[in-house]
Amino acid sequence: MRERPLRRTVLNVVGVLVCLTWVFPVYWMVNTAFLSADQVRSATPTFVPFGGDLSAFGRVFDESFVASMRLSLIVTGLTVLVALVFAFLAALAVSRFRFRGRKAMVLTVLIVQMIPAEGLFISQYRMLEGWSLLNSIAGLSLLYVAMVLPFTVWMLRGFVDGIPVDLEHAAMIDGCGRTKAFFVVTFPLLAPGLVASGVYAFLQAWNEFTLATVVMAPGNRTVPLWLRGLTTQSNAAIDWPGVMAGALLVALPVIVFFIIVQNKMTSGLVAGAVKG
Amino acid sequence: MKIRQVAVLGAVAALALTACSSEGSTTTPDPSATSGTGTATGDAREITMWLAGEDTPEELRTWLTDEFATTTGATLNIETVEWGELLPRLQTSIGNPDQTPDVVEIGNTQSPTFTTIGAFTDLTPHLADLGGDKLGPEGFVEAGSVDGSVYAVPYYWGSRYVFYRTDVFEDAGIEVPTTLDEFNAAAKELTTDEQSGFWLPGQDWRNGISWVFAHGGDIAVQEGDQWVGQLSSPESIEALTELQDLYTNASKAPKDGEDAEPWTAFNNGDAAMFMAPGWARWSISEDLTENVGAMALPGTDGGAAPVFAGGSNIAISAASPDQDLALEALKLIASEDYQTMLAKNGLGPSNSDYNDLIGDDEFAEAGRAAASNAKLTPASAGWAGVETDRIMEEFFAKIAQGGDVATEAAAVDAALNDALN
Amino acid sequence: MSDLLTKPPVRGWRLTPPPRPTATSRGARRGKALAPYVLLTPVVVVFVLALGYPLVRQLVMSFQEFGLAQQIGTKPPEWVGLDNYRELLGDEGVWGVVLRSIAFCLVNAGLTMVVGMSVAVLMTKVAGWLRIALQSILLLAWAMPVIAAMTVWQWLFDTQYGVVNWLFVQLGFDQFAGHSWLLEPLSFYGVATVIVTWMSVPFVAFSVFAALTQVSEEVLEAAQLDGAGGWQRFRFITLPTIMPVVYVVGLLQVVWDLRVFAQIYYLQGAGGLRSETDLLGTFIYRLGIGNSDYGMASAVAIFMLLLTLALTVGYVRKLAKEVD
Repeated sequence: MRERPLRRTVLNVVGVLVCLTWVFPVYWMVNTAFLSADQVRSATPTFVPFGGDLSAFGRVFDESFVASMRLSLIVTGLTVLVALVFAFLAALAVSRFRFRGRKAMVLTVLIVQMIPAEGLFISQYRMLEGWSLLNSIAGLSLLYVAMVLPFTVWMLRGFVDGIPVDLEHAAMIDGCGRTKAFFVVTFPLLAPGLVASGVYAFLQAWNEFTLATVVMAPGNRTVPLWLRGLTTQSNAAIDWPGVMAGALLVALPVIVFFIIVQNKMTSGLVAGAVKG
Repeated sequence: MKIRQVAVLGAVAALALTACSSEGSTTTPDPSATSGTGTATGDAREITMWLAGEDTPEELRTWLTDEFATTTGATLNIETVEWGELLPRLQTSIGNPDQTPDVVEIGNTQSPTFTTIGAFTDLTPHLADLGGDKLGPEGFVEAGSVDGSVYAVPYYWGSRYVFYRTDVFEDAGIEVPTTLDEFNAAAKELTTDEQSGFWLPGQDWRNGISWVFAHGGDIAVQEGDQWVGQLSSPESIEALTELQDLYTNASKAPKDGEDAEPWTAFNNGDAAMFMAPGWARWSISEDLTENVGAMALPGTDGGAAPVFAGGSNIAISAASPDQDLALEALKLIASEDYQTMLAKNGLGPSNSDYNDLIGDDEFAEAGRAAASNAKLTPASAGWAGVETDRIMEEFFAKIAQGGDVATEAAAVDAALNDALN
Repeated sequence: MSDLLTKPPVRGWRLTPPPRPTATSRGARRGKALAPYVLLTPVVVVFVLALGYPLVRQLVMSFQEFGLAQQIGTKPPEWVGLDNYRELLGDEGVWGVVLRSIAFCLVNAGLTMVVGMSVAVLMTKVAGWLRIALQSILLLAWAMPVIAAMTVWQWLFDTQYGVVNWLFVQLGFDQFAGHSWLLEPLSFYGVATVIVTWMSVPFVAFSVFAALTQVSEEVLEAAQLDGAGGWQRFRFITLPTIMPVVYVVGLLQVVWDLRVFAQIYYLQGAGGLRSETDLLGTFIYRLGIGNSDYGMASAVAIFMLLLTLALTVGYVRKLAKEVD
């Protein structure tokens, strides 16, 4: 649809303002990470990191960072993988079959999202304690899978619903078995949905820190806890360039992950963006 | 199109697979992370010690692990726990023999929460090995005791004293104050548009409470088996009014600020005085060292005012399966070598024999003078709740913002009565 | 093929009903009857183990006096019946927390939806390069881990060296020099709202934008020819098309904003007054961790679950109806 030129200009200006609002905190993080302590603690902010250096990264990039990054990558990867497989199977069941308890299942998935996590952790701790899963990757991942499953099931269910069964039938007529038809035809069409749900699961597992505090031993910290540690060192001034460098390091894997899956995610979330 | 999909799925799968394959090597928790599992076999025994925050210098940690290995043949794992994570971690793990740290450092004000429910081992029979009569400060021992038995012994202490700019005092022609009134007057006189006479952030109750102590007030006292808040006593009100005057007329520190990093303003030349535990001296800018003096906060009639003592206690978890080894670790901490190192690093040693080793410059003098009269928070199991609820921080912030002293004090006493009993 | 690819996601949001099962042989039918249950097993097992069991325990604890001594096992828990609930319902402080939580949730969910939908509409109207810039930037903001984002915002609003205070001073508002944003509860919630909105808008914007691209151009143009104004076209053509997506996204925002925890918890640590800024999430955490009163904390958590259900019951019923 064609817009009047003036109106379009106004909208473009608003669009630029929105861009600036959303990008500024991210920019400020990157900028501060390259500044020196003096530049940070001066009355006038430094807006461009001229004369900045990488020393802040050097200060925070240590063994504890590498260890927590490794732990977070493993737990998050495991959570995403397991949650996607489980959620996909459940989505298939709810979406492709009619059976007793189907509606109850969908409602459960909706309601489970409302359980306040902060009240559960003592019981969850006790449960893992009983199974000797405390301070283990398996234990933490199990809790994370449970945390992300409701929404991933819900989301994938929608995607599976959207794929016409006729396509599978057509493939079956062409001689594929039902299972084969599914994997050849339906599964590839689901990729955007899997990616979009995977992104959600990734973010949730990457961000969580309350359960990680109580379930894991102090030597095994995930990246959010590592990052928070940088701001709470009791005897020293907050090293803002260091903290921002740390925040950037913590954000980096997520950004990389987003870039890798970006194509599918945009087709998953922003389907048909080319019309306009 | 299809190829790209496969590639993306492949990437996701690859990511997941890397996670899986490296997972094999890590599902068994890092041996250093669990404690008490090696109880049975002699050589492989190990214990875990939690040290809070970064307060214990690296040098001391290394000495402790090395010495522990030499004397016992077992391994000592020292793990650092952020102060903010200490409570949740201890609350969940302290009763579980497999998860509990064997030895744990705990803020002296947090001790009663755990000592009163039997979470720590009774150390009374071993006191002779841990410093005996010399163990102190007295308030720290009390904080770790229940009904005359000691469950958590002092680890280190630091008393708060005042750092000041000698050159600023000279330029203004002001003598170093010797009474609290003189101090208040000096703080206000040194305040200009750019400079705080005395840097006092709004939520910094650990320094502000000194005024209450100096005037003979207190946070709460025990009457029978009840704790009664004392911040609305006439003495406290007088002190808080004085303090409010300082907040308004002598300090430009943020009203939501806490006691972290007061030296930043000092280093920037924005403050003529600030008050902090002794170890703050290592954070003062080198450009200033020639012009920095130290004094104990003066009392109302001269001498040192009672200040708030900061520091830690250390205890053995009652659930630890390696009580004997844990005790060995405590004995090493009580040893001459370790106490000497604590003192040399500006941390008050738990054995008063070594107090002199802190040094004899004016910083050490100020520290000792302040310590001679230091006070602690009420030894109630409910105190940890007061800290997590930030009752004191909020109260002082309200005073700093100009709230009505009597009203706020009555309200905080009610909150304290609630939390402490 | 590419056309098909673009459709599923948005169709998916629309909750289309599953197809009727097709007739097959009897043996296959029995296998088929079992199939959904087999497929559901992993999810059900995880739900029961990692959520159901703790939830039941929590329910039990909410009827007990359960403190630190009970947690470490030096004293057995004591049954107190409904005492915890009675105390909770009679406590003004608790009601304050509940009301603040509801208000915070409604303001934030509402604001996020309005801003998110506006940004989505904006994306359909601006120049191509700008749309790509918007998408990339929103994606970047979305990718920011919560703790990383919180440290950045804490730094932006820092009392002494924060760039927000500096900006206000430059604009001539001198009273913002050294202004403490987190001290006044209202200003605290203002900062929290800015942060929560900033973090939640990308998800809403992307979802709604995806729905908007499904609105039929032909119908819109026909309406324009019939003389329908821009607002009318939006109200009567666009809105009904995207409504299912808006519903689901809105429900999620309400649920997520009611249980907001990380942002509030972090800001309280950065200078907020805890007793005046607690929302349900931090309140429960503080009861459990700070005061070791797990019985009471559990009671509040159960109460919060019921409250969320009550707030969203309309939504849930509507969605449940569409499931069939």
